[in-house]
Amino acid sequence: MNRGKSTRASWRCVAGAAIGAMLGGMLALPAMARDGEPERVALTGGRIVPVVGAEIARGDILIEHGKITAVGEKLEIPYDARVLDVSGKTVFPGLVVAQTPRGLDVPNEMRPVTPFLDVYDAIDPSQMAFEEMLRSGVTTAHVIVGANCVIGGVGRIVRPVGLSVDEMTVAAGPALRISITPKGGYDRLLQMATLRETFAELNDYLERLAEKRYEEDLEQKKKKLDVGPAEARQRGRELVRADDIDDQHRNLVRLRGEVGAAYRPPIGRLGAFVYCGQAMDVGPAVKLAKEYGFFDRMVISAGGETFKALAELKSAARPVVLPPELIYRDVDPITGKVTETFLPSRYAESGLLWALLPGEDASLPERFMTYQAARCVRNGVARDEALRAITLNPAKILGLDARLGSIEAGKDGNLIVLSGDPLDFNTQVEQVLIEGMLVYERWNDPRMKRLTESAPAGQGERP
Amino acid sequence: MRGLRAAALLLSPLCLLAASPRAALAGEAAGVAYRVGKVITMDKSDAVINGAVVLVAGGKIEAVGPAASVRIPENYRVVEFPDRWLVPGLVDCHNHIAGSLGDLNDSVYLTNPGLNSRQTVEPNNDNVKNARGGGVTSALLIPGSGTNMSGFGTICKMGGDSLSEVIVRSPGSLKIAQAGNPEWYWVGVGRSFMNWNTRQTLEKARDYNERWEQFDKGETKEKPEFNPIWDQFRGLFRREFPVSVHSQGYQLLMTTIDMLAKKLKLWVVLDHSEFDGWKTAALVKDSDVFTVQGPRSYHFERTCRKMIGNAAGWYYNGVTELGINTDSPVVPQEELTLQAALGCWYGWLPYPALRGVTIVPARALGIDQRVGSIEAGKDADFGIWTGDPIDPRSACLLTVVNGKVVYDVNKKPRPF
Repeated sequence: MNRGKSTRASWRCVAGAAIGAMLGGMLALPAMARDGEPERVALTGGRIVPVVGAEIARGDILIEHGKITAVGEKLEIPYDARVLDVSGKTVFPGLVVAQTPRGLDVPNEMRPVTPFLDVYDAIDPSQMAFEEMLRSGVTTAHVIVGANCVIGGVGRIVRPVGLSVDEMTVAAGPALRISITPKGGYDRLLQMATLRETFAELNDYLERLAEKRYEEDLEQKKKKLDVGPAEARQRGRELVRADDIDDQHRNLVRLRGEVGAAYRPPIGRLGAFVYCGQAMDVGPAVKLAKEYGFFDRMVISAGGETFKALAELKSAARPVVLPPELIYRDVDPITGKVTETFLPSRYAESGLLWALLPGEDASLPERFMTYQAARCVRNGVARDEALRAITLNPAKILGLDARLGSIEAGKDGNLIVLSGDPLDFNTQVEQVLIEGMLVYERWNDPRMKRLTESAPAGQGERP
Repeated sequence: MRGLRAAALLLSPLCLLAASPRAALAGEAAGVAYRVGKVITMDKSDAVINGAVVLVAGGKIEAVGPAASVRIPENYRVVEFPDRWLVPGLVDCHNHIAGSLGDLNDSVYLTNPGLNSRQTVEPNNDNVKNARGGGVTSALLIPGSGTNMSGFGTICKMGGDSLSEVIVRSPGSLKIAQAGNPEWYWVGVGRSFMNWNTRQTLEKARDYNERWEQFDKGETKEKPEFNPIWDQFRGLFRREFPVSVHSQGYQLLMTTIDMLAKKLKLWVVLDHSEFDGWKTAALVKDSDVFTVQGPRSYHFERTCRKMIGNAAGWYYNGVTELGINTDSPVVPQEELTLQAALGCWYGWLPYPALRGVTIVPARALGIDQRVGSIEAGKDADFGIWTGDPIDPRSACLLTVVNGKVVYDVNKKPRPF
């Protein structure tokens, strides 16, 4: 254990953040552990809200090599650990954003069908969005294209820190984006026809590939063609290799998984985040996912009105990501009477796995996920369930609940140190640790200083 | 004071006139000896020679050294500039004016691998003449950044009357713009598609090259089909010429370093590299890419609301071998040194800035065996300056390309 080196590495992180921000106004760029491995860090004497398990009024957390190794009262702290005294503070798991197009140059490409694209090519680590995430306690975000598409590209799960997309990456994209709600300029007929056409073309592509493989196999064995095309396509399926599939089709094959009874292309699976902006989109989404074999890897991205299909959603029992706007307003066309529905209450009652998103407008408090969760509690959702909706639930939806979403031994050392209870609106994010690296401190955040400190006389006006 | 300066301005050309007519008479001299106040050699030891002689013969530099140690042959014509600086001819890595401006962008597709700027080279056009007046002697003519891949560039001399005299290397580079203009193509396109598409194009070219390499080495007997478009790319993958990347802003530079330099293993020159691109300095340091920045050496950083010196940003974050380009006509070709000077106004240093318009871009383009410094054996490309070219008060009085005077302020007034 090289104490000196690792301590320096971590401090360099914060110092780097401060210098970066001063020079160019960027916070998100400090290198994540570019040299020196993550240290042992102990957070001592804080109130721990672990999300899984009981709260600890005054406890310690030990992080070793980026992973939480112990949580409890009066832990024995190794002599070489870097100790952060957080007494009087609340320690909470880093927040997880289930989906966001932020950090990309544009939320969507103009082309309707782009399953071959990857946000890897478009994520900008210098974007303010990542800095904002850190400041509001988000330690993991699934960056994926927006819903203005038919089939969009693959997303990527990132930490909001790092000099390059590779450094930011927690995990490769788990899913493609699909939208059942029509993209701009499309109606539902064209949207669904384009989806069906894409999958039909994929079928045709795979069958031709199988036939070609079968014929090539015969040629190698110096045999003559013995069957018709239909049979050749059946027999050829087993001969298709991963690198036969071209770039345009690879992600669709990964989404589709098994194509025939015995045919499973040897490529890693992908899921789909399927946008259903309205209740009427849920049925076609379920049908499409079942027909093309990705139902068990489908996540529903809901719009406001989608809750009206709650019965269908319940029978499908797939996870749901709620829209950032939590209140749905129905206006009676005759009387003009407005009926408000608080969506999280309905999803909480349903027993589905659901997650909250931060608001899209950076000027409103909805951009803080903790505020979104607090609104849930105010509207009758159980506190534990609301806290899970910004931590463990999105982690489960992303398939990373073994690493993220709660303060438990074995999980990543992603913690936020808060000045008070996570659901108190007066609470501030004071420190952020990602995999044991201290990557944010409020008192070293130049933009926060600029916002809150009074300017010297005569320099108060801002352009 | 003002009167004095005016007198100096009037007098100085007169003094020079005394030297020039003699030069014009001696037609049959075997070579020329330039006796100057100071030579900035830009050689490996960064030598500066005061009271120096530079011998030029056959278009090349024959010798350079202190006046006392260089013997001037009998039949050499002597040109005297006892108070002036002799500075290597300036090199611009990112230029659009050595050819016809109307052919800047052929935006047929998002990637146009078949195009080549060689067909647009125009010796002695008006912009080239301006360039000579600013001491510029070599420039890489590249197609515009309207598409992700706009064609091959051509390294040109700013002197010479025929293509064979003008062209230093063709292809000089391949021009790529990963974004930062191509997004306006047709009705708009995002970075995820542009980068995917550019990668697809380059991978096709790489696969073509690999098939031929295998055939050439005898690893396969199957002769690949010849393709005139992809064949131009073979030199790119053999690292015989670089890819000139129009880059700007953090994400573009990051992608260039990752995709083009690290994954496709190309010889990369990050030119343009404007705005907050300098924030990628840590990534550039870990790679083998060359960095040349311009047209502007400063930008207004919205996040902290102040002017930031890009050049200083690169330099103090560890990219000390930094070049400057004009992107002419965005910034006039003759103002190459002025852009370097503006970089210094915002915190850069004059000597690294002078390197940045001479030897650094010459190395970035791989033409430093011919240009970029004053050393025996190199092309006789240089300017005679009234002082430090990075000082905006200094002017270029005489420009020599391949040993021939292409600009002489005493014969013709400065064209700009």
